[in-house]
Amino acid sequence: MIRELHEKLEKEEVTKEELFEEAKTLAEKYQEEFNSFVTILDEAKSKRRADSILKGIPYALKDNISTSGILTTASSNILKDYVPVYDATVYQKLKKSGAVLLGKTTLDELAMGGTGTTANTGVVRNPWNREHLIGGSSAGSASAVALGIVPFAIGSDTGDSIRKPASFGGVVGFKPTYGRISRYGLFAFASSLDHVGVFARSVEDVAIVTDIIKGEDSKDMTSLEDDGKVYAEEIKKDTTGKKLFYIKEICDIEEYPNKTEKLEKTLKEFQDLLEKCREQGFVVEEVSFDKKLLEAIYPTYMTISCAEATSNNANLTGIQFGPRGNGENIEEMMFQARTEGFSELIKRRFVLGSYILQKENQEKLYLNACRIRRLIVEKMNELLKEYDGMILPASGGGAPKFSESSEQVSDSHYILENHMVIGNFGGFPSITIPYCFDEEKMPVGVNITGRVMEDDVVLNIAYKIETLTGLKGIKAGEENV
Amino acid sequence: MIEKEKLRSYAHKLMFDMKEEEYETLQKEFEVILKQMEKIENIPNIKNIKPMTFPFRLDKKRKLREDEIGDYLTVGEVLENAKHQVNDQVKVPKVVE
Repeated sequence: MIRELHEKLEKEEVTKEELFEEAKTLAEKYQEEFNSFVTILDEAKSKRRADSILKGIPYALKDNISTSGILTTASSNILKDYVPVYDATVYQKLKKSGAVLLGKTTLDELAMGGTGTTANTGVVRNPWNREHLIGGSSAGSASAVALGIVPFAIGSDTGDSIRKPASFGGVVGFKPTYGRISRYGLFAFASSLDHVGVFARSVEDVAIVTDIIKGEDSKDMTSLEDDGKVYAEEIKKDTTGKKLFYIKEICDIEEYPNKTEKLEKTLKEFQDLLEKCREQGFVVEEVSFDKKLLEAIYPTYMTISCAEATSNNANLTGIQFGPRGNGENIEEMMFQARTEGFSELIKRRFVLGSYILQKENQEKLYLNACRIRRLIVEKMNELLKEYDGMILPASGGGAPKFSESSEQVSDSHYILENHMVIGNFGGFPSITIPYCFDEEKMPVGVNITGRVMEDDVVLNIAYKIETLTGLKGIKAGEENV
Repeated sequence: MIEKEKLRSYAHKLMFDMKEEEYETLQKEFEVILKQMEKIENIPNIKNIKPMTFPFRLDKKRKLREDEIGDYLTVGEVLENAKHQVNDQVKVPKVVE
C-alpha cells in the first residue's frame, strides 16, 4: 500500500531503485503468462526534488496515454511503432510527483473492447485464474495491480473500462467526475464519455493518487477547476446517515428468466453486504427504474461510442505516423494502411459507427441515442437529489472463462453487465471495490456511483464499505499464479 | 438482412476494406445490432428532448484564454514519426498532375 511504501522510503529502509527492480522483476516474471505490459522500462527515472507521497513509488500507465520518448501503441498495429513527442498531463503530473513509471500496460485495441482479448500483442489473462479473462479495456493496468507488480496504475474508462476489469481482477477502480482529471494526451475513443482514472488495492490508495493527478488543465477545455479537497482526508469522514439506493430491476433475481447459480449467489451476497451497510448507519433503499430505459443503455452506448470513435480515429492514416501503406496516391496509401492496421473487431465497430452516421440514420439512431442518454441522466440526477449514491454489483459474477466470452455484439446482455456506463453518460464519479467471490473463486466487485463533482463523497462511502467486505487489499497470491 | 454491399460501402467510406468472411460475420452481427437498436426506437415521445452530447452543464463562465505562446513542438519533433520526409515536410506521392 502506498502509505507504507512511502514510510519505508522516508526511513530509508528501501530505495526507489530497489522498489523499481522488485516491480520490474515481477513484471518480467509474469509477462509471458499474463501479458500485462506492452513495454517494461529498463531503469527508474524520477524527479529527485519531488516531495509528494508518491515519490519513488513505481506505477504503470495504460498504453493509450502519451509518454514522450516511450513507445505508445494503444495495443494496435496501426500505432505499433509510434513514439509520442509530448506527455499526457496525467503522466506529467505523476512525473512531477516523483512517482516512477515501470511500464505501459496492454489494452483492448484502441480501448474499444471489454474483454482484454483484442490487443495486437495477445490476450491478457486473469491473475486469479489464467483460464479466465480479466475484462477490459484497461486489462493490463488491472492485472498489474492484481498481481501486486505495482501498487497503482492509470487507466481510461469510456463505458466501464476501469470499473469492470477492477471487478474481475479483485482490485479497486475509480473513475472520477468527467473532467476531474485532464484527458490531454489520452488517445480519444469517444470524447464525451472518456475519463482517466485509477486502479489500486485500496480506496485510500486511489484517493491518494487522484489527489495528485486531478485539477484544471489549460490543454483540456473540458477539465474542471480543482475542488481544493484532499480526498485522502475526506474519505475518513463519518458516513452515518448517508443514503444509498439500488435498482430493483437489476437486483431482483425474479427479473432474470435465465437465472444461474452464479447470478443468484452474486445477488444474495450483494443483499448481505447491504445489510452490513445498514448496520453501520447507511440508509439503503430499493428504487424502481423504467426497464425500457435500462434495456436501452447498451444500444445507446454502442451508438454514441461507435459514432464518436469513427470520427476520432480518422487521424490514423499512416501518413504522419504509423506504418505507411503502399499506393500510387495518398488515398490508396491510407486505404491500405487502415486495412492492414486495424483488426477485424475495430473495423466492425467503425462500420457500425459509419452506419449510424449515415444521413438517413442520424435522426433515428444517433440523435435518439443522445436523447435517451439525457433521459437516463435526468432520472439519475432526480434519484441523486434524494440519495448520496447508487450501489449495484459491477457484474453478475466473476470474470468469465475465455471460452465463454466473445466481443461479438450479443442480444443476451444482461442489464446488470452494462449499467456502469450510466457513470459515463452523466460524468458521475464511480468506483468499484471487491466484495465477494463467486463459486469459481473469482472476485466480484460492487459499484458505487454518486453526484457529479462529489468525488469525495463517493470515495468516502466506498472507504467505509471496504471495511465491511473483509476484502481490503486482496491480491492474487502465488497459489493462483 | 443488411446487404453485404452496403457494409462494404460503409467500410470504404472510412477508407479500409475487410475480408469476405469478415463481411459475413459483420452481416450476422448487424442482425443482432439492428434488433438492439429497436430498443432505442421503442422509447416513446422523445422527439422534443434535446440530444445530450456532454455529460453535464458547466455553470461556470468560460472565457477565452489569453493568446499567449505556450509549449510547442519543433518541426523536427512533429516529423519524428513520419516515415518519409523532405524539406521539413511529410513526403507523399505527387498530388497535382
